[in-house]
Amino acid sequence: MLRAAGLVKSYRAPSGAAIRVLAGAELTVKEGEFVVVAGPSGSGKSTLLNVIGLLEDADSGETWYGDERVSALGRNGQSRARARYVGFVFQSFLLLPSLTALDNVLLAARYAGRRGPAARRRALALLEELGVADRKDHFPPQLSGGEQQRVAYCRAVLNDPPLLLADEPTGNLDDANGAVILEGLRRRARAGAAVVVVSHRPEAATGATAVYRLRDGVLEA
Amino acid sequence: MTELRRIVRGYAFTIAGITIGVAGLVALGAMSERIVRFIEGGDRFVLGQISVAGRGMGMGTGFTAGGLLPAATIRKIAEVEGVAGVQSQVMLPLNPTTSQFMTLTQELVLGLDLSVPMPNRHYRELPVRAGRFLREGDRRVAVVGASFAASRGLGVGSRLTLEGAPYEVVGVLERMLTAPDRFVIVPIADAREQWVAKDRLLQTLLASGAAALTAADLNTGAAVGWRNGQDPDAVALRIREKVAGVNVQIPSELSRLLRSSTAFFSALFAGLGALALVIGGLSLANTMAAAVFERIRDFGVKRALGATDVHLGREVLGESLAVTLTGGLAGIALALLLGAVIDGWAARSSQQLFHFSPRLLAGALAFSVLLGVAAAAWATFRVVSLSPAEAIRRGA
Repeated sequence: MLRAAGLVKSYRAPSGAAIRVLAGAELTVKEGEFVVVAGPSGSGKSTLLNVIGLLEDADSGETWYGDERVSALGRNGQSRARARYVGFVFQSFLLLPSLTALDNVLLAARYAGRRGPAARRRALALLEELGVADRKDHFPPQLSGGEQQRVAYCRAVLNDPPLLLADEPTGNLDDANGAVILEGLRRRARAGAAVVVVSHRPEAATGATAVYRLRDGVLEA
Repeated sequence: MTELRRIVRGYAFTIAGITIGVAGLVALGAMSERIVRFIEGGDRFVLGQISVAGRGMGMGTGFTAGGLLPAATIRKIAEVEGVAGVQSQVMLPLNPTTSQFMTLTQELVLGLDLSVPMPNRHYRELPVRAGRFLREGDRRVAVVGASFAASRGLGVGSRLTLEGAPYEVVGVLERMLTAPDRFVIVPIADAREQWVAKDRLLQTLLASGAAALTAADLNTGAAVGWRNGQDPDAVALRIREKVAGVNVQIPSELSRLLRSSTAFFSALFAGLGALALVIGGLSLANTMAAAVFERIRDFGVKRALGATDVHLGREVLGESLAVTLTGGLAGIALALLLGAVIDGWAARSSQQLFHFSPRLLAGALAFSVLLGVAAAAWATFRVVSLSPAEAIRRGA
């Protein structure tokens, strides 16, 4: 489902010096796989996830979703690819504060062109499944961190994306809430999605089909 | 409706900022329009007639300030080639004190010779809002200007005392936003009586019998009309040449004089209007752009979820339209409210400071909406050019 080859990415330090974060990273994730990328803070895990999720461009290298070389697409083409293929779970949830929990979930359907009663029914079912249905009309600031991440998880899986990318999804959660989110991601993998989780927490690797470490900009098994 | 409520709630401070900006813009624009209408009205009046007064200084005021204009002189004016009609007039300050010196226009008593049609080409008759205009043979009746009536609570049938004599108000003029708004118009015979009552020098002169004056000689000026096809300036110059002892205002000269004497106010309000446009426009554009930049993280998240430029452009266009329309309408309502309160207070001294024309209100609304939408579109263009990750980072 996902194939990334020769990913190189550098940032410019305030001094002007180039800091190479990815130095030819390679990653392949098939449908149904649950892959964990580990590594210390600052090793480039989030950058890797951003690049393979088309949230930022690599300096060089290619990213493929199935048979489509999505890294070659333009800005709007990449947006459409994200809507069709990818669901994101972020460490800081990234819910829109002006929308209710339900509307935040439905946002994913809006940009995938799937608005309508079916999307609403599915969103409500997901909120029910994650135990936050009674919070559907609450705004993010009225929710706990765990509740916000459950809502964010519902948003990520609303369109049944074939690729799920989670960046430290349990980083701001207690153990109980973290376990709910990780289990949800594993369930998606079992259902056929390709799941990539970036985390420095050991429990994330439980049940993983592969665990990689990002060292010196390269993924090592 | 729910979406609109969400937008209004989410952009409450932005809307408040736009409201204040537009209110300031509209209020200053309305003051500017008021002065422009006043000047244009005066200009239209003076260009519609040739104003003639007696040479010298006298009791007369307004457009015909000067000395006495005796009946014999008026007859001579009527005989000048090109003259179509001459209407004797008496124009007096209602209250001849220096306290009215700084007012935009004085309250004036205008006495008209109703046996002659009004010669002013632009005002064949003054527009009456209620009741009727004066008729030949009327005595002790008055038609009052809109501001004059409002300041004293006068209507048709009201009683008015002028120089100790009672008058019945038979008509109220429409608001013209120029000098007649503060006029009391009476038959010329009544005005002559008021003049004598006001002027002790004239009383002494008449009592002495030294001057051979009749009531018909007591005119402060005359409005002169010209025949079709005649050049009014040429007719005025001909009167000056043929009739001795008169001050003749050349219409085009008087128009220039009026414009130059009000040039300061015109420039002041034009400047204030332009300043309001610049400050209000910058403030509005800045507020709208800032509102978009504040949501940079939201844009990043939306792009991460698959929003294209078209999705975001449509959302911003819809939201900025809702925000600027709401703010613009609220600003106009605030300006109208402020104007009504201030003009209510000013009306007690027969003044009106604001004129909210439909053109001004529509222009202000269109200006705020177009500028707001343009600013939001520009800010959105800047934001969408960032990668989603960068937008999320910057908005964190």
